[in-house]
Amino acid sequence: MPFSRESRCPEPSDQDRSQSLDADLFGALVHAVAQDRDRAAFATLFRHFAPKILNYCLKLGADRSTAEELAQEVMLTVWLKAGSFDPAQATVGTWVFTIARNRRIDRLRKELRPALDPDDPAMTPSSQVSPEDSAQLVQSSRQLQDAIGSLEAKQSEVLRRSYFLEQTHEEIAEDTEVPLGTVKTRLRLALGHLKRSMRNKA
Amino acid sequence: MTVPFHHPDEQLLIGYASGQERAGKSLLVATHLAHCPDCRRRVSTYESLCGSWFEELPGDDHAGVDALLDRMDGLLTATLAPAEMKPAGLSSANPASANPGCGPLVPEPLRSWLPEAIDTPTDDGSWRKISTGVWLSDWERTLSGTRICLLRMASGAPVPAHRHTADELLLVLRGAFSDEYGHYAVGDVAQYGADTDHHACGASEEDCICLFLLDGDLIFLGEDGHPL
Repeated sequence: MPFSRESRCPEPSDQDRSQSLDADLFGALVHAVAQDRDRAAFATLFRHFAPKILNYCLKLGADRSTAEELAQEVMLTVWLKAGSFDPAQATVGTWVFTIARNRRIDRLRKELRPALDPDDPAMTPSSQVSPEDSAQLVQSSRQLQDAIGSLEAKQSEVLRRSYFLEQTHEEIAEDTEVPLGTVKTRLRLALGHLKRSMRNKA
Repeated sequence: MTVPFHHPDEQLLIGYASGQERAGKSLLVATHLAHCPDCRRRVSTYESLCGSWFEELPGDDHAGVDALLDRMDGLLTATLAPAEMKPAGLSSANPASANPGCGPLVPEPLRSWLPEAIDTPTDDGSWRKISTGVWLSDWERTLSGTRICLLRMASGAPVPAHRHTADELLLVLRGAFSDEYGHYAVGDVAQYGADTDHHACGASEEDCICLFLLDGDLIFLGEDGHPL
């Protein structure tokens, strides 16, 4: 960066900073859509997210016209459900991802994704968990975040390709020009690393 | 309230969060999540990870994006009026009606998916006896290639030796069972790889009833160790 900031105290990295600024900006735009049906705010969200949804669906096997329809459907859901977005639960990017994920499972796989019903009286609410368990919940969640943050880049990349892009081990090996055995080892190490952060697990 | 002790494997949780996991096992994972605040948080952490991967996808290909946006104009206008709020509680069916049996409710999404109540009598034709005190539900459904039915074990009744050619998964819905790996109560998940030896046995006063998922074939073995 040509104009670097002069800082006297430790600050988050540029990437962290821009991500949190983005988060605030997108959160405000979703809020404007929800409160005021703000078309300009929606257009800004659309220009940012629609190409990503398009890209995501194309990578997961949709043809161009299906991917375009899915992008529109997902963004229409953003328009309609903006009021249900909760910034305490997720970033706008994660929220849009979950909508895109559900829509493409529905459309590309012809499957309905089995999902929780948050109003289900049979669900064990977090609030009914004992204080000890509750403290452990917070700790285990932080441990998982730490584990994700400390994944080696190569292992994280295999995880991304395997679960996010749904590539087979063979496809990953071919795309990344890495031997098949190495791909499998990296995936096993990545999952083991994440699993170790889970309580009650051997 | 107790929380589950045995959780689905990490690949099931991340696969459920990313959408990579198919419907059959997702049904088991989602029902475990209803029991398990811990795994709900883990899945939401994995969703954030996927959200960050989603954000990294190229977004600078603007060709056609404005045209796409223009084509949504009519849709947006049609929904310009704020959606009317549905009166709370009116739209959802009375959950008790979906649970004709007694005992605690099976959580969603399994409750709506089950073809019948889980605790029907064992002598009314809805259960198929495998051995003394062990039954499989008469119904079996296949969801995204995974075979799904119920397994029922009376107190102390051992499930006969069996071989399975691929993953086997159990989710406890009622009661408890034990095997050489531990004790499993309501909400717990037991996961066995292909050709794993395991010997489940009912371990609660009431019958233990589990959701039973199988990717491959299940072959019960006779006392001589040969397929029945």
